[in-house]
Amino acid sequence: MRKLFLPFLAVVFFVSESLFVELWPKHIWDEQYVFVPRFLLIFLLFVTIYVTRTQGIVYGVIFGLLYDVVYTEILGVYMFAFPLIAYVAAKVMKWFHTYLVVTCFLSMVFISVLEFYVYGIQLLIGKTTMSFEQFYSYRLLPTLLVNALFLLVFSYPLKQRLVKMHEREE
Amino acid sequence: MPQFFLNKRLILLLVSIIFLVALIGFSLKDRKELTWSEQFVKDTTGFVQFLFHQPAQLVAGFFENVQDMKNTYKENKLLKARLEEYVMLEAEVQTLKKENEELRAVLDKKESLRDFIPIEATVIGRNPDRWQEMVIINKGEQQGIKKDMAVITPSGLIGKIQHASQFTSTVQLLSAIDRQNRISAYVQGKDGSVFGLIEGYDDKRQALLFKQIPFDAKIEKKQLVLTSGLGGIFPKGLPIGEVEEVVPDEYGLTKMAYVKPAANFYDVDEVIVVKRKIDAVQEGETK
Repeated sequence: MRKLFLPFLAVVFFVSESLFVELWPKHIWDEQYVFVPRFLLIFLLFVTIYVTRTQGIVYGVIFGLLYDVVYTEILGVYMFAFPLIAYVAAKVMKWFHTYLVVTCFLSMVFISVLEFYVYGIQLLIGKTTMSFEQFYSYRLLPTLLVNALFLLVFSYPLKQRLVKMHEREE
Repeated sequence: MPQFFLNKRLILLLVSIIFLVALIGFSLKDRKELTWSEQFVKDTTGFVQFLFHQPAQLVAGFFENVQDMKNTYKENKLLKARLEEYVMLEAEVQTLKKENEELRAVLDKKESLRDFIPIEATVIGRNPDRWQEMVIINKGEQQGIKKDMAVITPSGLIGKIQHASQFTSTVQLLSAIDRQNRISAYVQGKDGSVFGLIEGYDDKRQALLFKQIPFDAKIEKKQLVLTSGLGGIFPKGLPIGEVEEVVPDEYGLTKMAYVKPAANFYDVDEVIVVKRKIDAVQEGETK
């Protein structure tokens, strides 16, 4: 039962992104603003930092592939990005102490990195005509805002859970 | 230099970049069908999404209801005023329908591009990264859904089926940028209809682009834009939106109109997939 906890949590985060976009109140702000939930990436980073690097990367590959197949239908984009980010995050964390604040800050940095990366790919394959200024003010900033709020609420309980689980395993 | 290439991680990185490019290339190819493995993954996650979706929708529905209660009085007043109009319209529609049927019987013409078989479906997911505007619905090939069918809400056209797997399918919304996404449409004018193509979406204005309109065509604001059924897949007469502004297009040879979509692309819960009756009849004959 305990072994199933992490996969279950990953599935919850995976589905929550789509639910979030669907149930997000539509008329409060201008519809031009795009709020992209990156809860799965946050989860992957927390797993990498508070559980193990290997698990972070493996979950990254599996759920990256799922993300590509189910949501975007362009294979490879997230399957490549998630494990790479998990790997780099683990490398970077060697320089820092695993304080929650540091992890949250790092998550925000990597969310921006992911947004830039996906924007670059979309430009390359000609699926978007969005200019950089538009991307910056209508996508990047709202996305960071939403994910910062998410981190504010869920980062502490998520960390506690993962750390406890890891200790039990050991 | 050999040291450089012996680095295992670097090689892994390079190989995965090649893999990434190959995969992107593969998925951008104009695919008629998804591979069976993709279909299987989609259907399985679709089931999980469905499980999560129902309770979440209930909770969200409750809050929406509370919001609705506030507006009830105002809406009720408006609706009562409209009711009388409606009765008259209804009577007119009935007589017209009957007349149409009689005339068709006289002509011995049974099928029309307008007739369609509706397949109702629920939205169970949406692409969270929103680069491609897509929603996932809970009906698939088993329920008779095929690629390229039109998808509507009661207020109007919202998109078409991009890929159908066995029990779920993805809908590409009209707001997605896709150069192959063309819809044959016409404007209901006072003196005859004007045909053209819906090609693309203007993100900034939140309007569809209605192109290839003859330069001398008379189009005014607020006129309705409907599907023409000439494209071969969509039935005739599905509302798309209304004309917002008409401008000459980039070469000055034809005109272009901005069309404000009738349906809201952001607020879709229940959709109807439209199967053209003519196609269904032809299928039956070939079998």
